Amino acid sequence: MDFKFLVDTFFVALSGVPIALIITIISLLIALPLGFMLALTRINKIPVLQRFAQVYVSFIRGTPVIVQIFIVYSSVPLLLTSLFEKYHIDKNVYDINPIWYAFIVFSINTTAIMIEIFRSAIGTVSKGQLEAAYSVGLTNVQAFRRIIIPQVLVTALPNICTATVNLIKATSLGYAMSLQEITLRAKVAANVGYNYVEAYLDIFLVYLILCSLVEYVFKRYEKRLSKYKTAHA
Amino acid sequence: MEKYFNASYIWESFPMLLPYVKVTFLVAGLSVLFGTILGFILAAMKLGSSRIARKIANGYITALRCTPSIVLLFLVYYGLPAIAENFGLLFDNVDKLVFIVITFSLQFAAAMAEVIRSAYQSIDKGQFEAAVSVGLSDFQAYRRIIFPQAFVVALPNFGNSLLELIKEGSLAYTIGLIDVMGKASLIIDGRFNAHALETYIALSVIYWVISIIIEQVFLKLEKIFSKGKQVIKTT
Repeated sequence: MDFKFLVDTFFVALSGVPIALIITIISLLIALPLGFMLALTRINKIPVLQRFAQVYVSFIRGTPVIVQIFIVYSSVPLLLTSLFEKYHIDKNVYDINPIWYAFIVFSINTTAIMIEIFRSAIGTVSKGQLEAAYSVGLTNVQAFRRIIIPQVLVTALPNICTATVNLIKATSLGYAMSLQEITLRAKVAANVGYNYVEAYLDIFLVYLILCSLVEYVFKRYEKRLSKYKTAHA
Repeated sequence: MEKYFNASYIWESFPMLLPYVKVTFLVAGLSVLFGTILGFILAAMKLGSSRIARKIANGYITALRCTPSIVLLFLVYYGLPAIAENFGLLFDNVDKLVFIVITFSLQFAAAMAEVIRSAYQSIDKGQFEAAVSVGLSDFQAYRRIIFPQAFVVALPNFGNSLLELIKEGSLAYTIGLIDVMGKASLIIDGRFNAHALETYIALSVIYWVISIIIEQVFLKLEKIFSKGKQVIKTT
């Protein structure tokens, strides 16, 4: 056990945290509204979109993230090359920062999970709430923003927390797209002297700290939101 | 650059990949077996009266929940032989499968501990008391009254964890196991990295079908086992 290496690499691994967090936050920012919308299409049974959401969720939940990464990573460049050729854009596809692929993969993945979370959460809010909101003269947007969404969030939050932690964990697969995040940085550092045990111990610690922090933040927020919680009648 | 999409490669990949589904199921099956045993122990520790045991179980579950499978896999793959070396054991000849099964058992155990705990706690305490009061022994009460009810509650969560496990199991290819995922990357290497997309599409379809089948099986099982379920209406 090389303790100096252990300490040094810990900070190397730590330097990958911003990238992991950026991917997580961007993916959540895309997935939360999109997931909510698609969940509504399923609940309101909007013909084509409903079917689309169903197949989409089933596919994403039925395949490993790593396979999704490989599919996006090998299909998007193909699409882009033909697009660039068509419009004569002089840009090499292989110069694109892999973080863009990461945004695509993890947004697609998280959206599917959010659809499921919101679908079950919206189901817990009784229809009377919406009707009551309309009856006092709120518009559709107002009713959702002020009445429905706060209540949905209360029930959805623990699941969103789990999804976020899973998302952070999934960013460790970014190595497959040569994304410079926590795992890859520490692994590269370990390649020099074959100190893999120390490197993976560091990675393990970084993820443990990161995920514990995220869980803690969500717990705090959950407490703040719980004022919207309706007592069971 | 000769990169174009050719759907015939998707069809070609299926017969090559399908035989390796066995390996995927073997990994999943063994991990479920050991993971469930360890999960039971953890759940018992969590529900027990010893504070230290409860702390250990909680710590274990939190740590495992926060670790990406790939990190755990490599930690086990490199860490175990290193620990064993200190005791004078050599792990050089150990099959890769062993490390993979250990990894996913550890991970599945953490998930199962929570599943078992929540299932056990969902059963009303009165059920046990009633069983004992009609003269059943503790063991009989657990076996005949508590377990069948808790089982039904645990079933959907167990199914979800199993699906998760099969999907995470795909990462075993990173240390060189030839399961469906490993075979897919071999096929791609064999084609000199061309037509990777077609192979991955075939692979994703296989995983998709597996998970749909498992999902349906668990829905059926749930229906079969919940026939004795009586919902007590709380007014």
